[in-house]
Amino acid sequence: MASPSKHTAKQYLTGYLFISPWLIGFLAFTAWPFLQSIYLSFTRYNIVSPAKWVGIANYRMLLTQDALFYKSAWVTIKFAIVSVPLAVIAGITLALLLNINVKGITVFRTIFYLPSIVPTVATSVLFIWILNPNIGLINKSLALFGIRGPSWLNTSPWAFYSLILMSLWGVGGSMIIYLAGLKDIPVHLYEAATIDGANPVKKMWHITLPMMTPVIFFNLVMSIIGSFQYFTQAYVITPNGGPEQSTYFYSLYLYNRAWKYLDMGYASAMAWMLFMVIFFMTLLVFKTQKKWVHYGG
Amino acid sequence: MAVNDSTTRSRIKGYALLALAIIVTAVVLATGNETPRKYPHRKIVRFWHRWQGDWEKQVQKIVDAFNQSQTEYEVVAVSVPSGGSDAKFILGVIGGDPPDLMSMFSGAVPNLAANGFLAPLDSLMTPDEKARFFKDSYPSIRDIGTYKGKCYGVTIGADLMALYVNVKQLRDAGLDPDKFPKTLEELEDWGLKLNQYDKKGNLTRLGFLLNDIGYVSHYFGGGFDVKDDGRLLLNTPQNQRALETIVNYRKKLGFENVLRFQAGLNDIEGAASWAFMHGDLSITYDGQWRVEELRKFKPDLEYRVYPIPAPKEGGTPLGGLVGGNYMIVPVSAKQKKGAWEFLKFWTGLDNPDRAATFYNMGGWLPYSPAVANSPTFQKWLKKDHQFQAFLDILASPNCKAPPPIANLQFLNDLITRAEDEATRGDVTPKEALQELEDKFKEERNKRRELGYDE
Repeated sequence: MASPSKHTAKQYLTGYLFISPWLIGFLAFTAWPFLQSIYLSFTRYNIVSPAKWVGIANYRMLLTQDALFYKSAWVTIKFAIVSVPLAVIAGITLALLLNINVKGITVFRTIFYLPSIVPTVATSVLFIWILNPNIGLINKSLALFGIRGPSWLNTSPWAFYSLILMSLWGVGGSMIIYLAGLKDIPVHLYEAATIDGANPVKKMWHITLPMMTPVIFFNLVMSIIGSFQYFTQAYVITPNGGPEQSTYFYSLYLYNRAWKYLDMGYASAMAWMLFMVIFFMTLLVFKTQKKWVHYGG
Repeated sequence: MAVNDSTTRSRIKGYALLALAIIVTAVVLATGNETPRKYPHRKIVRFWHRWQGDWEKQVQKIVDAFNQSQTEYEVVAVSVPSGGSDAKFILGVIGGDPPDLMSMFSGAVPNLAANGFLAPLDSLMTPDEKARFFKDSYPSIRDIGTYKGKCYGVTIGADLMALYVNVKQLRDAGLDPDKFPKTLEELEDWGLKLNQYDKKGNLTRLGFLLNDIGYVSHYFGGGFDVKDDGRLLLNTPQNQRALETIVNYRKKLGFENVLRFQAGLNDIEGAASWAFMHGDLSITYDGQWRVEELRKFKPDLEYRVYPIPAPKEGGTPLGGLVGGNYMIVPVSAKQKKGAWEFLKFWTGLDNPDRAATFYNMGGWLPYSPAVANSPTFQKWLKKDHQFQAFLDILASPNCKAPPPIANLQFLNDLITRAEDEATRGDVTPKEALQELEDKFKEERNKRRELGYDE
C-alpha cells in the first residue's frame, strides 16, 4: 500500500500532466516573451539582427523626448476614466433589468449578450457604417428629430466618443457576470428587509449593491486592464490615430513603433511602462477593496 | 448480468474514445496539408501579394502564364489582406517561413531593407540584367526601390495620379473640356463652378478637391525630401505654398461639408463603385488603374485624363510622386532564383513586349520605356489612350520617388498629420510644416543616439 504522501505526489503529478499542454504553452508563448521583453526594452532591436544594449535610453527618450507618448497615454487614460464607470453602470443596469421575471426574459438576455461574442473587427466595420454622417443609422435617427448629427469618426472629439459608445456594445459579457451575481444574493435578505418595511430603493442600496460588490470588483479590475490595452477597434476604425490624433491610443502607438517603424526595443519599453501603470492601477483597486467590497454572501 | 452490462458499457466508451481520437487526429492532420500543387515535381516559389477582387484574378493569370512558360518552377500565389501585410511579412521572415516573393507597398521597402529583411535584387541579376535594369528603368521607379545604392524592390504596379474629367458635367456647366485649365488657379475656379449643393447647403457633387500635400507639393516645385548628406527639404517655401493652397481651397468649400460628402461616398478601389463613375465627382485626381476600371465597368462614360496643371507662378508641370506595389525577396527566402525568374518574366526585363500584356491587364504602369514603347503596349494604348497622361508624367523629370530613408513611414505619418492639422485650422500651414520638421529632426536625433545609421 502506497504511503499517503506518495499518493498525494502521484495525484499532483497526474494533475500537472493533465494541464501540461497549457503550462508548456504558457511558459513558451507568454512567460518567456514577457521576461525577454524586459531585456529587449534596454536594447535597440529590429527582430532580425541581434539586440544591441542601449541602457536606459529607450525609457529616457520616452519620458523626455516623445510628445506622442504623453499624448497617446492621455487619450488612453481619458478613455479609461470615461469608459470604465460607464461599462460598470451599463452592465449593472442591464443585469437588473434582465433579472426581472417577465415573459421571454431568456430571449432578451440572449439578445443583449450576443453583441459581446461578435468578433471585434466585424463590430468595428459595422460601426463605421452605423456612424456614417450621411447614411448612418445614428444620424438618420437624429434627423427624425431635426438634429444634424456630427461627422462622428472624422471630427474631434466625436471620434473619441464614438469609440466610447462602441465599447458599450460589448457590455453583454460583464452583464452576464452581474446577472450571475444577482442570482447569488440570498432571497431571505430581501424577505427580512420587506418585513422591516424597506422600499425598493433601500433594498437596492443596502442589499443588492453591497452583495454585488465582489462581482463589481472583478469586472472593474478587468475593465481597467481592458481599457488600458484598448487597440483593435481604434486600429480598424482610425488606423492613423483619428482626427487630430484624438483616437491615437497608447497600444496603437506601441504597435506602430514595433511593426511599422521596426523599433522593437522602444516598443518593449513602452509595453513595460504600460504594464507598470496597469499593475499599479490594479494594485490600487485591490488596496481599496477592504473599504467597499463585501464578501458577506 | 450486471457485470456483462458494465463490460459492454466500458467497451463502448473505449471505442467511442478511440473514434474521437481518430477524428481529432484526422482534423489536425488535414489542416496541415500543403497548398494544392499543379506541378508537384517542380520547385515551388511562394508568392504573397495584396491584390484582391478582379485584380487577384489578373495576377493569377500572370502566374499561370509563367507556370506554363517553363518547367523548373511553380509559382503559387496567395492573396494576403492589405492591412497589416508588412507585419505578416515580418512574422513570416522571423518565423522562418517567409514567402519567396512578395508585393509590398513602396513606403515599407526602405525600412525593411535597412533592417536586413530583404535580399538585394542586384545579387540575383546577371551583369547584363543589372546593367539593363539600371539603364532602362524610369528613374523614379528605379529610385523608389533603391536603398543605399542597391536595388531591393522592383515594381510591377507603380502608381501615379492625374485628373479624371467628366466631359458631360463640364459641358452642362458651360465649360469647354477642350480648353482645359492650364493653371491650378483656373482649375480651382472650374471646380467651384462644378460644385452642386442641396437646399440645406450640403454638397451633392464635388467639382474638384485639392488635397494630398505629399503629392501636390511636386507641382509647386517642392516635395518632402531628405538628401543623402542629411539636408532636410521639409519646411520649404514651396511646400508651404502648396499647403496654403490646399487649406485656402478647403476653406472655400467648407471643411465639414467636404468631410460629410466624402464619408457618404461608397468608394471602393477595384470595384465598380468609384464615385467618379456615378457622377458624384466632376474632376478628381486618382490613379492610373482607374482607366482600366472605367473601360470595364463604365465604358459609356465620356471622360478625359489630364495631368494636374501647375500653379501659375513657380509651378513645375508634370510633377508627381511614384508609389505602389514593389516586389521584394526576403533575405531568408528558400527559392530566390525562382522568385527572380518570375519577377523578370512579369516585369519584362527579358522580353518587354510579352510583359506589356501583363501591365495592361491590371492597368499598371510599365517599369521602363522599353515596355511602354513595345508594339503590344502601344496597341493597347490606342484603345485606352487616356492612359497616355500617366506615361507623360512618368517620363517627366519632375516625377520623383520618395526619399529612400529607413524612417520613411514615420515621415509619411508626419506629412499626413501636418495636412490634417492645417486643413482643420488647428495651426497655420507654416506652423504645421515647422512642427513636421521639428518632429522629424527629433526622431532622427533619437535614432542616431540609439546607434542607427540615419
